[in-house]
Amino acid sequence: MHYAFHFNVVWDHWRELAQGAWLTIRLSALAMVIGLVVATTCAYAKTTGPSAVRWIVAAYVEVIRNTPFLVQIFIVFFSLPALGISLDANEAALAAMVVNFGAYGTEILRSGIDAISHGQIDAAKALGLTRLQTFRHVVLFPALKIVFPALASQFILLMLASSVVSAISAVELTAITNSLQSTTFRPFEFYFVAAGLYLVMALGFRAVLGGIYWLVFARRGRI
Amino acid sequence: MIDPLKRLGMLVLAALVFVLGVQTASAENTLEKILSAKKIRVAVDVANPPFGILDKNGQPDGSDVAVARQLAKDLGTEIEFVQVPSTGRIPALLAGRADVTIASISVTTDRAKAVMYCNPNGALSITIFAPQSVKIKTPSDLVGKRVGITRATLEEATVPKMAPEGTKIVWFDDLASTVQALLSGQVDAAAMTAFAEKTVADANPSKQLENKLLVTTAFYGPIVRQNDFELRQWINTWLFINTQNGTLTTIYKKYTGVDLPPLPTF
Repeated sequence: MHYAFHFNVVWDHWRELAQGAWLTIRLSALAMVIGLVVATTCAYAKTTGPSAVRWIVAAYVEVIRNTPFLVQIFIVFFSLPALGISLDANEAALAAMVVNFGAYGTEILRSGIDAISHGQIDAAKALGLTRLQTFRHVVLFPALKIVFPALASQFILLMLASSVVSAISAVELTAITNSLQSTTFRPFEFYFVAAGLYLVMALGFRAVLGGIYWLVFARRGRI
Repeated sequence: MIDPLKRLGMLVLAALVFVLGVQTASAENTLEKILSAKKIRVAVDVANPPFGILDKNGQPDGSDVAVARQLAKDLGTEIEFVQVPSTGRIPALLAGRADVTIASISVTTDRAKAVMYCNPNGALSITIFAPQSVKIKTPSDLVGKRVGITRATLEEATVPKMAPEGTKIVWFDDLASTVQALLSGQVDAAAMTAFAEKTVADANPSKQLENKLLVTTAFYGPIVRQNDFELRQWINTWLFINTQNGTLTTIYKKYTGVDLPPLPTF
């Protein structure tokens, strides 16, 4: 069987593809920033909070980490309206991505916090730092440095996983690709190009995250 | 955990291997291959009632599936169902995963650029469907409303053309998601076949769903790859015989509840 590749049809639609890729980038970046706040809050609660709060955070982390992302998205988009919470496709996608990244991030941060030696925390106490000051300067900052590569990996996974939000009609890169291949009947060309765009975005995000690491952690030389 | 970059690298590698595999030519035509393998691979969409569904045992069923089974029986071969979503009906064929797609693919000139149609084996109509409370009487009432459609379907090809500017069209990957969006109020209306609407309305009487506007009516038929003339000719012969002896009428009536209109040929 022969298949003639016609990539020129892809270039005819580069604007749509670029718009889709841009939404993927925006959703992923926003989800990472908000998700990191969620993860930090939860990691703080899990390591220093009362046992009831710890239990709630542990339940959140386990439920999200042990259920498929696609199902989580369906619940946010299709089931929450029954409870009166109606989010449009992009909001639902962002919410699901934040909740998902938050859970993985909590667990990654917790492992970093566990790696901080207790003597360091005792020293902070002896210096008269408050609990929040200790967490911020003595625990969180070095913990973030330790787990930064793991967080970056998780973030790239989140960006790639965002491809499934096309299922709830968010018009990101995969959704655009699906629409274009179904109207042009050129599935191979469009999926190859989409795979290439994801690869470029992943490498781009990795470079940006590497820059952030250098600026925030490596350059300052703080532990 | 596998590094995502490595994962992507493997994907690209797999895709290349696949492309090289696809380009290996063979002298046997598809009909000969089917006959010598004693197996025909048929792509079906089992999320599209009443044409393709899964029965209580998880087996493919529906009018398309019944047509495919009878076709394989008369061809004297086994049948392998390749289950695809609506967006996969043509790609499955182009990628060589199936020999023929029998999945209520409406005849359009655009699709005929990519694949070859056999003669029609059924007819369907696409309509706009919404709860009673949503006021839609003419196409201009669609302005400002969110209308759900399924990718790679006849509704995707027709609704954007008939809907006036200002209609918010929302695309889903399969019919089940489009229906779910309508039932959960994420869209105000949805476009699908009148048969699918009946199934949905019967299953959800409390939603008071009703037919609002006719978008188009169309005939659908099996599709094969370009240049598979021998296979297409055999299928057309089979369609001719089974139109004459009433088999197609019986199957259509059994699953849709309505009579099969006279089928044109081309």
